[in-house]
Amino acid sequence: MNATATKRPVPKPTATTQPFWDGVKDGKLLVQYDPDSDSWQFYPRAISMKTGKRNLEWREASGTGTVYSFTETYVPMAGFEDRVPYLLAMVDLDEGVRILANLVNVTADAVSIGMKVKVAFEKITDDADYFCFEPA
Amino acid sequence: MAAGNFLSGRDVVVAAYGETPIRRRGGFTPYELAAEALAEIFAKTGLTPADIDGFATNVPHSESTNQYYTPYLCDYLGITPRWMEISDHGGGSAIAAVSRAALAIQAGMCELAVVLCADAPTTAWNAANGGYRVEFWDPTGIQGPPGGFGLLMNRYAHQYDLKPEALGKLAVAQREGAVFNDLAYDKLRTPITVQDYLDSRMISSPVRLLDCVMFCDGAAGVLVTSEERAKRMGLSDLVYPTAYIVNYNAAEAQPDVTETGFAVIGPELLEKAGRSVGDVRMFQPYDDFLIAEMIQLEQFGWCGRGEGSDFLLDTDVSYRGTLPINSGGGQISAGQIGLASGMTNFVEAVRQMRGEAGERQIKDPDNAIVTGIGVITYGRSWKVSNAVMLEH
Repeated sequence: MNATATKRPVPKPTATTQPFWDGVKDGKLLVQYDPDSDSWQFYPRAISMKTGKRNLEWREASGTGTVYSFTETYVPMAGFEDRVPYLLAMVDLDEGVRILANLVNVTADAVSIGMKVKVAFEKITDDADYFCFEPA
Repeated sequence: MAAGNFLSGRDVVVAAYGETPIRRRGGFTPYELAAEALAEIFAKTGLTPADIDGFATNVPHSESTNQYYTPYLCDYLGITPRWMEISDHGGGSAIAAVSRAALAIQAGMCELAVVLCADAPTTAWNAANGGYRVEFWDPTGIQGPPGGFGLLMNRYAHQYDLKPEALGKLAVAQREGAVFNDLAYDKLRTPITVQDYLDSRMISSPVRLLDCVMFCDGAAGVLVTSEERAKRMGLSDLVYPTAYIVNYNAAEAQPDVTETGFAVIGPELLEKAGRSVGDVRMFQPYDDFLIAEMIQLEQFGWCGRGEGSDFLLDTDVSYRGTLPINSGGGQISAGQIGLASGMTNFVEAVRQMRGEAGERQIKDPDNAIVTGIGVITYGRSWKVSNAVMLEH
């Protein structure tokens, strides 16, 4: 493990988000679902943004979606020096939520808005995994 | 239905301003910078710290770990307020604080309020944001505001016809103002060309270096009081805030990120102020990125969606022009004084309206719109959009 890779920020689960990160560890993308309004939301919260109720269920998302927008970053954040340039995207999941994540296994010239992508997972430390997306 | 306009009575005024030079790594704390700007207000008005009974400021990056910042700052300045306030609207903090000071004066909570914004992020960086950032933002390596605006600008370019040379023309016009602005950061005071903009290196595509602000240190502030009190003190050349409004959209899971709060508040601000875009003599929009200004032009109604490029190419937006935009250089060419940033363009508007802008003076500076933008957000456009109309 090189020195810079260890500096990448590691998510710290909260009382609400722990199931999400447990899912990531199992290779699953869990998204909150509000049965009263039949709506999904992301990032995870302790309340439904639609109904204001604390009625949320965790459901495994399909993991597929489309690129809503993307950017190629040339000035890295700490911990990303060995990846420059790297791709970030807003991905619209088929369930109807938007997720910010890295695009991997693709170069910028092959990415377009509207492109189909699917979730993938990468190890960011020995203990932490993180979600990303790759071409579907 | 639009709410009422608490500023329609023209009973509150901006009576004086003070501003430090904009510096990088100057070694000054926000307390020291605030003192420097406040001394100018005292020198202009003859007031002393004991006269000030209202105080409002912004949360600065450089002191955001200090949960008692406002009382510490008042203590440092020798001010004993009856009304005290801090705003955390990011780049919208300055005009949010001005609006709250106006309300406090109307409510009789204070008579002479200083709204004093200061920050020194290039000398001391103490910011730490929680919320979604810890788990869902920082671990992606998103390059803060340039990354967020890269995503927004790329989407805009996908939906509309974005002409980079139009943004370059705006950058050139603002730089012309900065050349004449003694308070602008020194290294930003040399003229640039559209080609310089186009050739500047990519930071987070399609955001180029010259699309972005540069973090700096500094302070700027204004004296807010009632018209009646200002006249009794013999102060003249008063500037009247006549409308203020803020908007933030958290309703949709997959919103159009190019649609910002300005789509709501731009037209509503003009309506409250009884003005149309054709009446506006200068626009001092929040300018963390050039694309944010183009979007504001469209959403206030100077042109339609996607017509911002052609509007900029067809309009002289320099201080000499028909619609001067950020005549002092804006933040992009004067420097962004951390989270005090919203006060830079506000003070420039007041200075212009008082006819004190020297070589970059706008003709007929009867009114102005100043805006603020606060915080890049998760999966949406920016969070806070706010705006104030000023009349002379």
